[in-house]
Amino acid sequence: MSYVDQAQSSYRSATRYIPESLRVYLPILPVMALVGLFILYPIAQAIYSSFFTKSLLAPSEAEFVGLANYVEIWTDPDIHQVLWNTFVWVTVGSLAAIVLGFLMGWLLDEKLPYTSVASAIVLIPWVLPRVVGASIWQFMFGGSQGIVNELLVQMGVIDEYIVMLGANEYSLWPPIIGMIWRLAPLFALLTLTSLQGIDEHLYEAARMDGATPWEQFRYITIPMMKYNLAIGFLLMLIYNVRNFSMVWVMTKGGPGVSSSTLPVMIYRAAFIDFEVGFASALSVLLFVVLLVFSYYYIKFYDKVRGEM
Amino acid sequence: MATDNTDPTAEYRKNQSWLYDSKAGGYVRKTAIGLLTLVIGVFVLFPLYWMVVTAFKTTSEIQQIPPTVFPVNPSLEGFRLVIESSIQAGGYAGLVNDLFGITVTSAIDINLLGLIVNSLKVAVGAGLIAVVLGTGASYVLSRREFRGKNLLMSLLLASLMFPGTAIMVPEWELISTLGLFNTHLALILIYGAMTAPFVVWLMKGFFDDFPDSIIEASQVDQCTPFETFWYVLVPMARNSLIASFIFAFLLAWNELVFALTLLDNSKFTVPPGLLTFVQGFNTQWNVVAAASIIVSIPVLAGLAYIQRYFVQGLTGGAIKG
Repeated sequence: MSYVDQAQSSYRSATRYIPESLRVYLPILPVMALVGLFILYPIAQAIYSSFFTKSLLAPSEAEFVGLANYVEIWTDPDIHQVLWNTFVWVTVGSLAAIVLGFLMGWLLDEKLPYTSVASAIVLIPWVLPRVVGASIWQFMFGGSQGIVNELLVQMGVIDEYIVMLGANEYSLWPPIIGMIWRLAPLFALLTLTSLQGIDEHLYEAARMDGATPWEQFRYITIPMMKYNLAIGFLLMLIYNVRNFSMVWVMTKGGPGVSSSTLPVMIYRAAFIDFEVGFASALSVLLFVVLLVFSYYYIKFYDKVRGEM
Repeated sequence: MATDNTDPTAEYRKNQSWLYDSKAGGYVRKTAIGLLTLVIGVFVLFPLYWMVVTAFKTTSEIQQIPPTVFPVNPSLEGFRLVIESSIQAGGYAGLVNDLFGITVTSAIDINLLGLIVNSLKVAVGAGLIAVVLGTGASYVLSRREFRGKNLLMSLLLASLMFPGTAIMVPEWELISTLGLFNTHLALILIYGAMTAPFVVWLMKGFFDDFPDSIIEASQVDQCTPFETFWYVLVPMARNSLIASFIFAFLLAWNELVFALTLLDNSKFTVPPGLLTFVQGFNTQWNVVAAASIIVSIPVLAGLAYIQRYFVQGLTGGAIKG
């Protein structure tokens, strides 16, 4: 008897009391257990903790406070700044990454030679360890040796070096630029894949009917890839709203909270101020946003699957 | 009949535009595309170039204002400092002295070798968990119909969106309760849970496309379902399995949030270790850049292999690459 037969017979004998109709779930069980314990359960735990005041240092001394943590979100002036920053990240950051990524994908598709090599190079910013990518940008923007300052002086935009990462009025933007650099390649790859999936005959037929290049783009390219673009768009939103490393490496969310986003604030609340309850309430806020995005992500996802 | 007199190409040409159908328009178009490529190319590639040249600059050149675009005297000082510091921090200074008679001292405090070993441990563990558990689940999800299947698939897809910052606080509480705080096992389990849904989707895509006739043929040859899975499907799925493993490995290799919150300095993986060094006092950027290049090598090697699977993996197979 080979080891495969042995595996099968021991599987059979181990599962003989489980009804046939339930056995189909057995191979899925380990994954669901893992995901349930380490991803789904913590979500429930955060919702529960958000109704308590408790310290990270003494979690057992929790005190039920009802909605007080949520009221604090509502009244805390720092949080207003943080939510505004998060909104800027999600809107400006995502839109810029999409526009840039779309152009990159379009150029890769037909305007440049060596598409597969070029797209591998373009992908490097996305796959590089997040801390590495963020450190490069910190070095480029930061300190007195930052190349960005020198570049701006050379171009005549500014007269002398300015403090960017440590200044309230600028610190929000360098991490966003770094994030656009990281996310645009991802959107470019999605665009490239979608463009390559469009049947060339459609364009041929349209040209026969006298469609201009713009009309071909507007009435063939865009409709053919609209759900793929929607999926890419939602991925950008999700990655931007839950991003932590780009901000934390470059500015630590400072100075003050001038460059903090929601995830940075959660980290600060929990691991610097030790306020687990308040941090949990902020986490719940982040869940709600992610839940909305995920809902649409899955919806568009089903649309794409349905059409295949 | 009127149409007989019309030139058939006239209809085709009626939408002529200057930009597309004249020579001058062609030049304008080519120039515009060239400029666009240049601007985007510089934005994407310059940071990478900057990391590489910084790694090959000397410490004194790093501090120069304005910065030099090309290294004046290319040097391996950054790499040397990383290696020396790893030898010292890892406690190998005595060994090196005995073997080569070289006394290694380092003023820099980054134990890159130790960080890499920790990261390898976590990433390989997480990759194996994700691939082994994910593949079994994906086969059933692809080949069988049962109640709650769509719900399970959506749940797995949604769980890809939540990890990281959204659950770092409750995850800390959970890991403390389980007594796994400051262990690599905690990270292996969490990263396994984060990437298993990924693997399920990727492998399900493979099994969905797998021809029924091969499975039927193996049944005709008296293969049991286990034998079919092990002798027929797994060997044919080899490339997808390797790609799944690399995906999981890379996520674990790159992940910062859980590594930062669930480990102490002594057990740090590469991302929090590098972060601590970058945010340390008086950062030496040529050392950071050299260390960055070293820890990016596995990522670039992995990228070369999984590029084909990338889009599929990211979109759960919705968009085929």
